[in-house]
Amino acid sequence: MLGKIKRSIATFSLGLFLAMAMYIVPGMTSDAIAKEVFAEQVFAEEAFAKEVLAEEAVEGEGEAEIEWGQDVFYKDWEGNPLKGPVSGFPAPELGESDYNNYEFAPSRMLLWVANQQHLYFGSFVLAVPIFCMLIEFIGIRSKEEDPVMSAKYDRLAHDLMKVSLTAYSWTAILGGILLFTFITLFPGFFKYMAGIFRPVMHVYALMFLAESGVLYVYYYGWDKMKEDKFLKWIHVSLSVLLNLIGTVLMYLANSWATFMQAPGGIDADGRFLGNIWHVIHSTLWNPVGVHRILGNIVFGGGIVGAYAAYHYLTAKTEEERAHYDWVCYVAMFIAIFGLIPLPFAGYWLMKEVYAFRQQMGITLMGGIMAWLFIIQAVMIGLLFFGANSYLHNGMSRVKGSHRYMKYCKYMILLLICCFTMWMTPHTIVMTPAELKAMGGAQHPVIGHFGVMSAKNTAVNLMITTTVLCFLLYQKANKKINVPWATVGNCWISAIFVGAACNIIFLGVYGYFLPANVRVGLSVPQVTTTLTTLFAGTAINISMFKDSESYGDIQWGTQSKVGTYAIFLLAISFTWLMGLMGYIRSAVRLFWHVTEVVRDNSVDAYTLTIGEAGKMLTFNTLFVWTQFVVVFWVGSLTGKKVVSKAPEGIPVPAQQQQ
Amino acid sequence: MNKSLISFFVFVVGLAVFHNVIFPIFTPKEIGWILNRYVYFLLFVAYLIITNLILRLKPPIAMTALFVWGLGFYFYKFVLYPPIPWTLFITYMVMWTIGTFLFVSQDPITFREFRKPIVKTIVGEYKIAQMVALTAMPILVGFATYNSIYPSYQEPVELRTVHPAPPATTKVHGKTYPLESTNNPFRVDEQDNYKDSFPFLDADKNEYMKYVTEGGTIFFQNCHYCHGDQLNGLGMFSHVFNPTPANFIDPGTIAMLQEAFLFWRVAKGGPGLPNESTPWSSAMPPWEEHLNTEEIWKVILFEYWYTGWHPRTFGTEGSEG
Repeated sequence: MLGKIKRSIATFSLGLFLAMAMYIVPGMTSDAIAKEVFAEQVFAEEAFAKEVLAEEAVEGEGEAEIEWGQDVFYKDWEGNPLKGPVSGFPAPELGESDYNNYEFAPSRMLLWVANQQHLYFGSFVLAVPIFCMLIEFIGIRSKEEDPVMSAKYDRLAHDLMKVSLTAYSWTAILGGILLFTFITLFPGFFKYMAGIFRPVMHVYALMFLAESGVLYVYYYGWDKMKEDKFLKWIHVSLSVLLNLIGTVLMYLANSWATFMQAPGGIDADGRFLGNIWHVIHSTLWNPVGVHRILGNIVFGGGIVGAYAAYHYLTAKTEEERAHYDWVCYVAMFIAIFGLIPLPFAGYWLMKEVYAFRQQMGITLMGGIMAWLFIIQAVMIGLLFFGANSYLHNGMSRVKGSHRYMKYCKYMILLLICCFTMWMTPHTIVMTPAELKAMGGAQHPVIGHFGVMSAKNTAVNLMITTTVLCFLLYQKANKKINVPWATVGNCWISAIFVGAACNIIFLGVYGYFLPANVRVGLSVPQVTTTLTTLFAGTAINISMFKDSESYGDIQWGTQSKVGTYAIFLLAISFTWLMGLMGYIRSAVRLFWHVTEVVRDNSVDAYTLTIGEAGKMLTFNTLFVWTQFVVVFWVGSLTGKKVVSKAPEGIPVPAQQQQ
Repeated sequence: MNKSLISFFVFVVGLAVFHNVIFPIFTPKEIGWILNRYVYFLLFVAYLIITNLILRLKPPIAMTALFVWGLGFYFYKFVLYPPIPWTLFITYMVMWTIGTFLFVSQDPITFREFRKPIVKTIVGEYKIAQMVALTAMPILVGFATYNSIYPSYQEPVELRTVHPAPPATTKVHGKTYPLESTNNPFRVDEQDNYKDSFPFLDADKNEYMKYVTEGGTIFFQNCHYCHGDQLNGLGMFSHVFNPTPANFIDPGTIAMLQEAFLFWRVAKGGPGLPNESTPWSSAMPPWEEHLNTEEIWKVILFEYWYTGWHPRTFGTEGSEG
């Protein structure tokens, strides 16, 4: 049994790796490839433009029929702004009549709530099919070796899709509300956006139709396609298709937001220059897409985990407890897997933001939004604490874990030290008296923690510690029997010690380098961290061959603290997602579309930290209330009605079972 | 005697002795590699661990948690120097408290052990502890209330953005400079080629050092009164300003910024700051009214040369279309 679980966990890990690679690698590499392709395309366009202009010059009669505009973002080979035929109207100068409002709340707040709720649900319904695809695939692969586990995986995937189906309709309703909010409260702005993105919006609607069709066939065909091997493979292929359509949907919707933040494909007056692809894949499109996919996985994992944790705590039977404990584990595994690369995707996004407008980057990291980033740092720290607490508590119930439990306290100490460094602000809130006592605005000791060298070092060490914790969790109940066990353990130790030394060395070295070179050090730091993840996991799993077990994992015995850690994670994810969304959106300050469409409404102000915090908390509570309702609705079909005869009344023989 | 009690005394008496006797030895005027407060703290931690191990005291987890928490408190309150602001102290202690909680709750057994004395105190099994706790709690709440309503004459805490986002362009002496693409016209030599040179002495040998020298002259004529002759923000007038002048030695100031950013800040001074950076609390004059453009660039060149930092550049970092 244990061997089968081991294999299924290993397959699960492999599946997740492949899924991550499928989603991330194209995103990362496509950036480089796209630039090459784009360069060729630009060259062709430029040549064409010159040709047309030359022809017009030769003709020399009257004015050119086609007006050419200069792109605000894209450049040609020589670094000059790319030219394109003007194909749209200029951005409007919005006035009072372009905004509507209700008495009871500012339009901006209403739009925020509508947008955020739709995004939360959208994120969930995009994430769940990814899990289902993986879980169903693992179920199919393990069917011959372990039919019981296979059925369990299949049931889990089916249950999740059931909840996702309700959430899907809900998402569509929230999308409708969002659309109406835009049209009714910000008609001037929406008219401009619709003018630019007209074809994209139609494709989006059609993709939604395709998504719905595939989703319904996938869900309602589950039982019919379950038994036949070939049909089951077709069924799991449908989930791949579902995910592909979902990803395209998300990327299309992302293009509106990334265009607003860092526009391209238009001239300085906001006129569309005829190439819709330029408008869609503006500079932040790829990093935002990858960051959102990872964020969705983490968020979805957190919600499923919280759902399972609730059922685990309220379970009446041992079987139920064991099942939901296992679901908690699977959800946490997925969430942590998404969480580990998430900061790197965030760095990539910020790098592109800085590259687009240094001013925007400084507003985010050092300016008016900097304190929100400190709050973000605290929330991320909580995520790591929650994840590690779950792993420690989960490990403690495994027989044989006493060999590794003694290291937990040192890992906690390292986490806390790194977290302290990670969230030490560069600008400290203090009274003038404290400032004088400190001898200046920067503390001579902890002041060094306020810069990126320290932050990168801290977060990489935190991730490495979490990876180590996970490896120990994996091998907690195993007695390693491979002849190269000592060598393997030495390699794992060497990888982690070497990684820690390298990360710290690069962090310290960064203080002695110019800032532009220092930024580049984050790449080897991240590579080091990922090496511990991939190489460490690979060696660890390889060592499990022919291993003996100290005992099976006792599902259903997870401690309450470990279970509550899942709630902490889920709530932190939700709040953090809202916070980062707010930061990304609010950095436009008084622009609807950066430097093109100015926000002339009465709401064009930046909220105080306290006000923003209240809105985020409201959004978090609101969405969780809806999730509870959605889960309840999803559970209605699953409830078995046990007909129980009233006492004392004889039951007819034909009704007795 | 109860081993837990011995362990408690080891901690309390040890702390008293260390703090009053050994701490002054480790805090001389001239701080050394050994004689400093951080080595002292490590010694105290080592004393605690070794004493408990030698005497085989094995304090219960609740007491160990108390020691761990107390060590954190002691470090942040008394060892870390200069004293950190209250907001940061609270934040660090919250972190440390969470860490202590993770330590006691790492598995159900330790957590059960940790809860045991608390539960026993609440239900009345530990009568004396219950009486002490129930007496101390209202006193503590009362003390906190007294502290919070006691009139305070301190200036309020101000959340100020030290490095605000610069404008896209700035107009100095009638010319508009786009900040993202403007470079220092006097940076004729790249970094590190001049590190062995010295302003004033090598000014005639090297064109670059000539500009640095001129910048240095301007700095000492105008800036060092506030920013200090070591550029550490501790000039002779610095102590009367709030906030204190910028410390250029710190890796978080000019090392993180483009030269064009400094150009904008020097030219426009305090009044040119956006509201988020509280222009009303900066005493720096708009230097464009006192220096010409070239002088501003030269003084910036000097600041980077002196501190050894290289200005931030973005040229090769990001992707463009």
